[in-house]
Order: sequence, then C-alpha cells, then structure tokens
Amino acid sequence: MNTLTETVERQATMSRSLELQDLCVDRGGHRVLDSVSFAVEAGQIYALLGGNGAGKSTTLLAALGFLPIARGSLLVNGQEAGTGSVSIRKMVAYLPEAVSLYPHLTARENLGYFLSLAKTQSTPKDIEEALDQVALDFQARDRRLESYSKGMRQKVAIALALLRRAEILLLDEPTSGLDPVAIDELHALVRKLAGEGKTILMVTHDVYGACQVADRIGLLHRGRLVGQFAAEPGERISTEAVHQAFAEQESR
Amino acid sequence: MNAMLQIATEEWRLWKRSRLALASGIIFLSLLSFTALVTADQILSERHTRQATQAAAEETFRAQPDRHPHRMVHYGHYVFRTPPPMAALDPGLLPVTGSQVFLEGHRQNSPMINAADADTGLGGLPPWTPALCYQLFAPLLLIVLGYGAVVRERETRTLATLLSQGVTGTELILGKFVALVGVSGLLLVPALLIGAGAAGESGNFAALTALLLSYFCYLAFWCAIIVFASAVFERRSAALNTMLAAWLVSTLAIPSLGVGLGSALFTAPGKIQLDLAMQAEILAAGDGHNVNDPAFVQLRAELLEQYGVDDVAQLPVNIRGVVSERSEAAQTEILNRYASRRLAQEQANAQAILRFGWLSPAVALSFASRTLAGTDLLTHHRFQEAAEELRFDFVQGLNRLHIEALDYKTDIERNRGVEASRRARVSAENWALLDDFDFESVPFAERLSAAGLPLIMLAAWLVLGLGLLARAGSRLTV
Repeated sequence: MNTLTETVERQATMSRSLELQDLCVDRGGHRVLDSVSFAVEAGQIYALLGGNGAGKSTTLLAALGFLPIARGSLLVNGQEAGTGSVSIRKMVAYLPEAVSLYPHLTARENLGYFLSLAKTQSTPKDIEEALDQVALDFQARDRRLESYSKGMRQKVAIALALLRRAEILLLDEPTSGLDPVAIDELHALVRKLAGEGKTILMVTHDVYGACQVADRIGLLHRGRLVGQFAAEPGERISTEAVHQAFAEQESR
Repeated sequence: MNAMLQIATEEWRLWKRSRLALASGIIFLSLLSFTALVTADQILSERHTRQATQAAAEETFRAQPDRHPHRMVHYGHYVFRTPPPMAALDPGLLPVTGSQVFLEGHRQNSPMINAADADTGLGGLPPWTPALCYQLFAPLLLIVLGYGAVVRERETRTLATLLSQGVTGTELILGKFVALVGVSGLLLVPALLIGAGAAGESGNFAALTALLLSYFCYLAFWCAIIVFASAVFERRSAALNTMLAAWLVSTLAIPSLGVGLGSALFTAPGKIQLDLAMQAEILAAGDGHNVNDPAFVQLRAELLEQYGVDDVAQLPVNIRGVVSERSEAAQTEILNRYASRRLAQEQANAQAILRFGWLSPAVALSFASRTLAGTDLLTHHRFQEAAEELRFDFVQGLNRLHIEALDYKTDIERNRGVEASRRARVSAENWALLDDFDFESVPFAERLSAAGLPLIMLAAWLVLGLGLLARAGSRLTV
C-alpha cells in the first residue's frame, strides 16, 4: 500500500477532475462536512467509506451544487460547485442512493426521458446496449418500474448513468439492492469505465466492495476525513487495514 | 424540444396514466359540459322567447282599437330584456334582477323576475352555471392535479435525478406550470364552444375573447400558486392542505364576506321608506288627472294668457292633455331622481364588494365575467334606463295626442253615454307612435371599459403568481 505522501507526488502529474479543499458544509444548522480535502483524478475510482451520517452523500450533493458550501472549495473539472452548478451537472452523471426514477414509466421510457432532459444523444440501440450491460431482463424493459424489484430499478439507474457518457460519475451506494452476481458485474463495469478514463467517486458503507473496486478510499467519520488508503499498481487495497480503521472510528 | 416543454409533456403523460387525474378530469368536464349545455339551452331559448314576446307585446299595443289616449297611458306596455348571448356562459345577475317591466303612466315599475328564474331560486341554492364551474370548481381540479407536481418529485427523490441532468429549477417549475396551464386551456374548450355558438348569433366574438382571456388569466393564477406551493413544501399533504385552505378562503369565504360587508357599509334606505318620501313629492307636484289641482293654477293662467282667452274651453289645445303632459314630466323628474339615487347606491354597494377583488381573484373574476357578458349591474341599470326612456316617450306621445287630437269639450263630456265616449276616442293608427324596444346589452367597448378594474385586479393576481413562481424556481433545490 502506498503512503499518502507517495500518492500526492503522483497526483501532481495527473489532472484532477474532483478537488475538495478544506470543504465545510452545513445542513439544518449543523456542520456535516468539516474541512474535508481530497482529489480524484481522471481514470481513478475513489470510494468514500463511512457509517450512517458520516457525510458521504452530502459530499456528492455538494459536488452537484445542491448544498451551499460554508467554507473551502469544491472544484469539478476546475469549476467551483455552487456557482456553475448547472454546467457541472451536465458533465456529471449521478446515481442517487435511493433509486429515483418514475414508477409510471417503463425502463426505456425513463431512460429516454432523462437522457433527453440531459440533452444526451442516445439511439434506441444505445439504450438497449446499456440495459444489456446492466443485465436487465429483456422482458422487463417494457414494464413500468412500479412492478420492478429494488435491484432491477437500480440497474436502470446505473444504465442511465452509463448512457449519460459523462466524464465524472458520482455513485451513491451503487450496489444497494443488487444481488451478489450483479454486484460483481457492477464492480467490473465500474473498473471498465475507469479504464476508459472516467473519474468515479462512489460512496458506500460496504468495506469489502470498496476495497474490491476502488483505487483509493477515504474514510469519513462524523463529517471529517479521518483516513485515506491507496492501492499499489496492479493490487487491491487491503480489506483488513480498511476494516480495522473503519471499526476503530465507528467504536469511538 | 426544450426542457420546459419536455417536463410539461411528461406531466401530461403522468396524468394520462393516473386514474385519479383522469377521474377528476372526466367528472369536472362532464359537470361543466352538462351545466354549459343546460345554461346555453335555457338562455338561447329565453332569447328567442323574449324576442318573440316583445314583438307580440308591441303588436298587441298597436292593435288596440280606437281609444281615449289616456286610457292607452294606463293600458301600458311590456318590455322584455333579451339575455345577451354571453349569458349562456355567465347569466350573472339576470336571475335576481328581473327582466321584464310593465310600462305605464305616472309610475316606474320595478323589473319583474320571470317564472323560470324564480323557480330556480326556490331550490335554495344558486343555480350552477359554466361561470360558477370555472370560478369554483376548476381551481379545485387544478389543485387535485397539480399540488404534487414538484413536492412529489422531492418526496420520491426524482427531483435530484431531474436536476442532476442539468435541468434548472426555473425550467422545472415552468414546465410544471405549463403542464397545468395546458389543462386550464383544455378546460376552457367547452366555454369556447358554447360561447362561440352563442356569440355566432350576434357576432359578438370580441366579448367572447375577452371573457375567455379573463378566465384563462384566473386559472393561470391558480396554476402558478399551486406549483409554487408544491415547490416550497416538503410534504404533499402540507401542499394539498394549504391549497385547499386557500381555495376555501378565496372562492367561498372572501366573496361571502365581501357581499356582507359591502351591504353593511352602504346601507340604502328601504324601498318602502323611499317610496313614501317619493309619493309625498309626487303628491306635491299635483294630480295630472285633475286640471283644477292647485299645482296647475299657474299653468292654467299661463295658457289663458298665452292664447288670449278667458276660459279653458276656448283654448285651441286640450288643457287636460297639457296638464297630463306637464304632470308626467314633473313626476318623471322626481321618479328619475329617486331612481338615480337608488342606482347610485347599488353601484356603490357593488364597488365596495369589488374592492374585495384585491383579496380574492374569484371576486375580481366574477365582476369581470358579468360585466363582459353583459349580465352585470351596469347593464341592468341601462335596461331600466332604456325602459324608462321608452315609457316616457310613449306616455308623452299619448299626452301630445290628448292635447292635439281631442278637444277639451268632447273630452270632458266623454262619460255622457256611449256615443259621447266613442267621440272621445282617437284613431288606432296613432298607436304606431310606440317605438320598438330592442335593448340587449351595453356596447362591448363600454363593457370592456367598465371591466377595467376587475381585469387589472386579475392581471395583478397573475403577476403575483408568476413572481412567486420565478422565486420558487430560482431557489429550488433537493
């Protein structure tokens, strides 16, 4: 495992798609992110790990400009989140924690609608290919989402994120509701996307899954970044080390 | 297609697939169509009936045999107010103001309410009209359809998905607004069809256009505040409860309060009280049937001097007719003075109620609608004025006949047997002096001008709604 210092040196030569500097965010009168700093480069998968209420989802919402920044900065491809939120949202694909698509529409209709809103050119063939990639049952594609299981809806949401062809993907608990096989397929897909140069920031409380897929892991606890881990080239991050750090923080 | 229209189209697709939306829409449109057809049929039927009755009344008057002119003064004549075509959409005050007047000498009779209108009133509830459907129930339908437009997206978290596609808050809010305004436009189609059918008869399309625009303005205001409420509340139940409370206050409470307070603020003297005061003045003005009434002593002296004779029997004119003519003019001046005061009080009362249009768009719309349809107080007053003008003209025409076509001696001897009575008659050809009565409504330009303030109120409400909408759009977040 690389030390943080070594990683920082490597970062200097890479473009930073996401950069958080001393980021503080307040919600409901409380500080939910406190002096968080990290950066994610193009082609990298960064997993933010933490328990409930750690501030993981808040980080993604702040990046999308949905929350005001109290202090510090959050740059997305060099643009300050909050001031250029709409243009940032156009270059980012966001997969929310709770699948939020229209239950009265079919998978195809949902994808067609949201892609047209995003002004992303997609043919029916593109949509079918994306649904193939997430392994959504062909028979189900013309059924309304109200009849889907949570995992099936999650697959449609992932397909939407893929079809956006965004340079940056913000994934909030992407494996939620997926069966083990689908989780493995998703991890493979995420790694493939990173290999194509996409920047991926995912938040999760699944230590094992994060270590399986991420190049770097940040450990959030009560709004503070309390530890970071990076994988050696060609290796995975040690699950044990992360799990130990995670457990220590949660027991405090 | 831009994002706003895409969002509007999607909202329509949701409503198409929602049983509640479809059922609400079908119930409202059925109710509206039924009400519109019934009202239109009733008004158009009344138009034809009253036109025919008016013609029959005129024919009956002119077909009277040779008579003493003053008998024709008391025989009298009926005039009927033909409902304007737009009454098919908004009968306004027609059911309560009366639409037929019996015209006769020495009196200004009040308009009578016709039997059909009275029967409707006996039901104890105001009759349902298309105007009432639009003023009361269309906002309710829009609330049912639109209260969840934005808050639903927030509750189900699709708001984050929408906004993360690069859609702005303003585009989202305007899209929802456009969807709801589209429904409003659809709701106005029955009014357009019925109105066009009715207006076609008189070519009064300008009035129809203005009427529909005022309703559109009103419904667009509701669309704006419904979407606004949906955008600012965190829960659907809160948005729905707030909008239902706003609907109750705006369409029911404030209009009722306005009518009550308007009447209380401008208390007019009672009819009996006014009639007693008026009768006292009329008595003082002299009895036109009695040439020896002290009130006409000076008139008699003036006539004798003017014609250089010593006795009224030597006058070249019939002094009984002259006295009738002078008396009618004096009485009419008194009657008109009291009538003007009464009409002014009614107008002041109406204006006091109209002020509540600043508190409720439903009040502003009801005034604008009635005025543009020609079923308001102004038109009712003009009908009374037109009827009075006709009454005065034909009564004075008969008095002129009395003066010129019947000599004094024959006149005073008219009760001395059948032959004397026959000699004291004038030819029936003279009854042609009665003019046709064809009052329908005041001209459109005047109605539009009279509707100026309520239309300004409606525009102000719409601007307020759009302002709130713009504010909600600029602040919308997950």
